[in-house]
Amino acid sequence: MKISRDEVLKIARMTRVALHDNEIDPLAKQLEQVLTYAERITEITTDVEEPSNKNVNVFREDVVKRQSPEPILAQAPEEESSFFVVPAILENS
Amino acid sequence: MDKLAFASVATIRSLIASGEITAAEAVEFFLRRFEAHDPQLHSALEIFDKDSILAQTEACGDLIGIPGLIKDNISMNGRQLSCASKILKGFRATYDASAIQRLKANGAPLIGRANMDEFAMGSSTESSAYAKTKNPWDITRAPGGSSGGSAAAVAAGLVPWALGSDTGGSVRQPAALCGIVGMKPTYGLVSRYGLVAYGSSLDQIGIFTRSVRDNAEILSAIAGHDLRDSSSLRVDKKDYTTKLTGDLPAELRIGVVGNAVDAEGMDGEIAAAIQTAVGEFEKLGAKVKTVQIPSIDYAAAAYFIISRAEAASNLARFDGVRYGARDKKADTLTAMYTNTRHDGFGSQVKERIMVGNYVLSAGHAKEYYDHAKIARRVIRRDFLETFRDVHMLIMPTHPVPAFKLGSFEMNKLQLDLQDYFTCAMNLAGLPAIALPCGMTKGKLPIGFQLVGPHLSEGVLYQIAHAYEQQTPWKDIHPEGF
Repeated sequence: MKISRDEVLKIARMTRVALHDNEIDPLAKQLEQVLTYAERITEITTDVEEPSNKNVNVFREDVVKRQSPEPILAQAPEEESSFFVVPAILENS
Repeated sequence: MDKLAFASVATIRSLIASGEITAAEAVEFFLRRFEAHDPQLHSALEIFDKDSILAQTEACGDLIGIPGLIKDNISMNGRQLSCASKILKGFRATYDASAIQRLKANGAPLIGRANMDEFAMGSSTESSAYAKTKNPWDITRAPGGSSGGSAAAVAAGLVPWALGSDTGGSVRQPAALCGIVGMKPTYGLVSRYGLVAYGSSLDQIGIFTRSVRDNAEILSAIAGHDLRDSSSLRVDKKDYTTKLTGDLPAELRIGVVGNAVDAEGMDGEIAAAIQTAVGEFEKLGAKVKTVQIPSIDYAAAAYFIISRAEAASNLARFDGVRYGARDKKADTLTAMYTNTRHDGFGSQVKERIMVGNYVLSAGHAKEYYDHAKIARRVIRRDFLETFRDVHMLIMPTHPVPAFKLGSFEMNKLQLDLQDYFTCAMNLAGLPAIALPCGMTKGKLPIGFQLVGPHLSEGVLYQIAHAYEQQTPWKDIHPEGF
């Protein structure tokens, strides 16, 4: 199992995490180690049935409860009149 | 007052009931314990002031004046909640976790936030962005992890009980390395509402105490169905202390998991201590036999894949938009996300969520994730089949005693493999309790775990308690505290 620098950068993009150049090689090595260990999982091939009572969805009534947005907005890194502010998504024309 | 340091829940309760001390004095006593010893141990990220602690708890209940330390991934309304990560620096919980709500309703004073591995990812508590917790038995060694702060504080007598969380062994392994009792309940017995998610299908809040009875007391307060967690089991609240008679259940059959006890890399002193414990159970009247569960040798691999995959999804929410840290210099949204997550997450977290995205990605999910799900079902089935033959299982909790801080810096895989004996129960959703069973020649604690069928906590406690009564370990504490 070999992980290339390009693969590390691709996974980092999917993970939405920036990497500095000196972080790529150590990460490649660590991913390789873990994934090589995990490869043994393919030796288990005979499946068994999932018990029917597992992962059953639980429903409840959809009841509206008024809550103040203040405690939540107060934690925002940046907010303006009850909205979270983020850097521009679209370019100005 | 000094006798309070290692006192049981029942002792503190009776001292308060008899008027010998007040609940406020008990809280004050343990606050002073932290003041005196935690600068050395670093078990807590924060200890609250007495007035705010007392203001937040009910004045009635079974746990009045019996303080607990809470792992910093469990929400306490108005308190900071950092998961020992820089990305949540300054964040304050806006509600109580269900377990916290129940503890407060029982009068329990919650006195601080315990250190942990960042986002509960690790086995040594060294990946905390804020502090390195020391093992009270030897402060050059790690307390285990990820709930290492909780374990160290209870072992050193700074607090009678603590909450942790156990996704792959994060309560049982540090309990064993610190010489105390650590319970991971059945998946769904304790509500996960308010517990910051790591691997949602594996996570369970667990309990640290110095005795089995204390542990059962705390579980009695927090267990039971909760509407706010869809995976919560429809189990009524109950008293888990009722079966603690000192006797084993009649006709008890215990299985020792042979392929675990004889696993490669198992420390000789630990293997010998577990054999001695097996002998104690025979003396108590249990029939003991060796069983083999070969599929658990695949548990670590399945756990690596499933926990990282779920973590990749769960930790996507930390993006700098709604709370926590943000890179304010970034001029595009993507740069804000990627820089915030680069600077906010430590290397262990980044590695795990990248592994998670790799095993879930289009080209690799079949090989890794799909096989891990099969392995999980096989492991669960094999446990349940074994429980047709025996009532309980004995397994190791850890392959080596408490290790030196920094031992695994050059070999992260070996550190990850500290979960080898514990993660199978998370995959199968089974309850397991870690108990002390000896000391190494170098005076480090040794533990083992008792594993039972789903929702067997009452009997697990009964068996653990009967064993505990025959052994000296609960009354032996680290020196200097």
